[in-house]
Amino acid sequence: MYAIFKREFLSYFRSPVGYVAISIFSFLAGFIFYSQFSYGTVNIGSEVISLRSFFVIIVPIITMGLLAEDKKRGTDILYYTTPVSLFNVVAGKVLAAFALYAVMFLNVVIHIIVTLACGGQFGVGAVGTIIVFFFMAFMFISMGMFASAITDNQIVSAIVAFIFILITQLLTMMSEYAGTAVTSLASTIGIKSESASSAGSAVKNFVGWFDPFAKTQDFRLGVFSVSALIFLLSIGILFLYMTYRVLEKKRWSQA
Amino acid sequence: MIEINNLVKRYGDKKAVNGISFTVNDDEVLGFLGPNGAGKSTTMNIITGYLSSTSGTVKVNGHDILEEPELAKKEIGYLPENPPLYTDMTVKEYLDFICDLKGVSKDKRKKQLDRIVSLVKISEVYDRLIGNLSKGYKQRVGIAQAMVGNPSILILDEPTVGLDPNQIIEIRKLIKSLAKSHSIIISSHILSEIQEVADRVVIINKGKVAAIDTVSDLSKRLSGQTKLLMTFKGPLKEGIGKVRTIPGVQSVVPRLADSKFSQLEITIVSDSSADIRSAIFYMMANESWPILEFRSLDPSLEEVFLSITAR
Repeated sequence: MYAIFKREFLSYFRSPVGYVAISIFSFLAGFIFYSQFSYGTVNIGSEVISLRSFFVIIVPIITMGLLAEDKKRGTDILYYTTPVSLFNVVAGKVLAAFALYAVMFLNVVIHIIVTLACGGQFGVGAVGTIIVFFFMAFMFISMGMFASAITDNQIVSAIVAFIFILITQLLTMMSEYAGTAVTSLASTIGIKSESASSAGSAVKNFVGWFDPFAKTQDFRLGVFSVSALIFLLSIGILFLYMTYRVLEKKRWSQA
Repeated sequence: MIEINNLVKRYGDKKAVNGISFTVNDDEVLGFLGPNGAGKSTTMNIITGYLSSTSGTVKVNGHDILEEPELAKKEIGYLPENPPLYTDMTVKEYLDFICDLKGVSKDKRKKQLDRIVSLVKISEVYDRLIGNLSKGYKQRVGIAQAMVGNPSILILDEPTVGLDPNQIIEIRKLIKSLAKSHSIIISSHILSEIQEVADRVVIINKGKVAAIDTVSDLSKRLSGQTKLLMTFKGPLKEGIGKVRTIPGVQSVVPRLADSKFSQLEITIVSDSSADIRSAIFYMMANESWPILEFRSLDPSLEEVFLSITAR
């Protein structure tokens, strides 16, 4: 696993990808921190929460090549014909992408140090947002990795990852819309308004159940929920498992 | 030693490999021959564990490739048709990565890599990016990759394709030197190439084994097919007539004729053991028709199949 991890992590810096991702992140983090700082009140928690909105750009950049590039170059044959197991391949690659995220996050560490040095606050709520940030990074990277497994075209992989993450980020809004739509649909076909609105809220709750942002919103207040973290972890592992299956299936392909 | 038993690979309705069985003995070079699309690469991909067969078994030194994949894969070094190279790494970094993948321990690594690098002659490009290497060097790095981990079996899929003649000779030499300590399966669609390096030949066509034979026996079988190509300065029709009169000549087919010279393809009767080349030479000299080119024609793969399946 370490071999794959090392190669994959270093390959970010053999191409522009690693530098581009780190630059974008540093610019965004620096910009957010600077605007807070210039107002005189720094809130690391809200900086980290703002940075979450950029998963949709940064994750596809760092995951698009993970497996697609191997397939295109023909180097994926090494994973099947050497004693290394496919599990280790998947694990090594996801860790490499995750490690790049950790490197990017050093920006925020610097901001924390600056904040503390200037006598600012770094409370338990901010710690909560950072924990959520990393669990979400893992989940989105897994989605991106799956997108990279199903194609040998990096652009397609990036677009698919972008769509996955976008849908996840819009789940809060989508659950509202779905609920309202069901309620109004139910009233127009003559169902009593009470049942109509309860059907609507049931749909809203159902769609909203999958929303990782709603599940973790109390972390910023210092209220931690283990089940929410397990949820993020499970979705991530689910996508990694699907990635593994896609790789394994290639061997048995009938086409 | 590799034992391949009744291998079948089905793609939808089409059987790419249809019941192939053969064995490769220790320290033997086995030529794997067939036209493009015969199932060579598919078979090799199955032997190395890259693809799974629909049915049939592959045993590598007694380890089944599906049941004990890690043990089986340790015994095999594979150079696929397109060498699996990371163009963004240097040769050194790449071979180091392969050592990691194959689990070569740190203390043995340097010695092993030194040996491989000097054997395949890539020391002068060791610190260069693979993406910047010529095709011949890339192919050698591919072979080096296959040799990492000291596998007892090397499987090389068309190792000389796309190389220039000098590089082909170099790679052949390399394969011959490797043959002393490895079992090697080498595939090609060129008969003469296989004849030079292999001890035994498996010929496959349309997913089935057409023949398994030693190289010398194969040549004997093909001796009935001897053909000569001659280009001479002189009239075509008279030339055909004259050559036909020589005993042992079965047929004479005109290949090419223009104002400057004529070209004939001469087939010699299978039971004729006599060398008729000198007879032809003296006859042409008598007629004052200078011979511009005179050579024997290698049988094409199609002819090999015809002669093999005809018997």
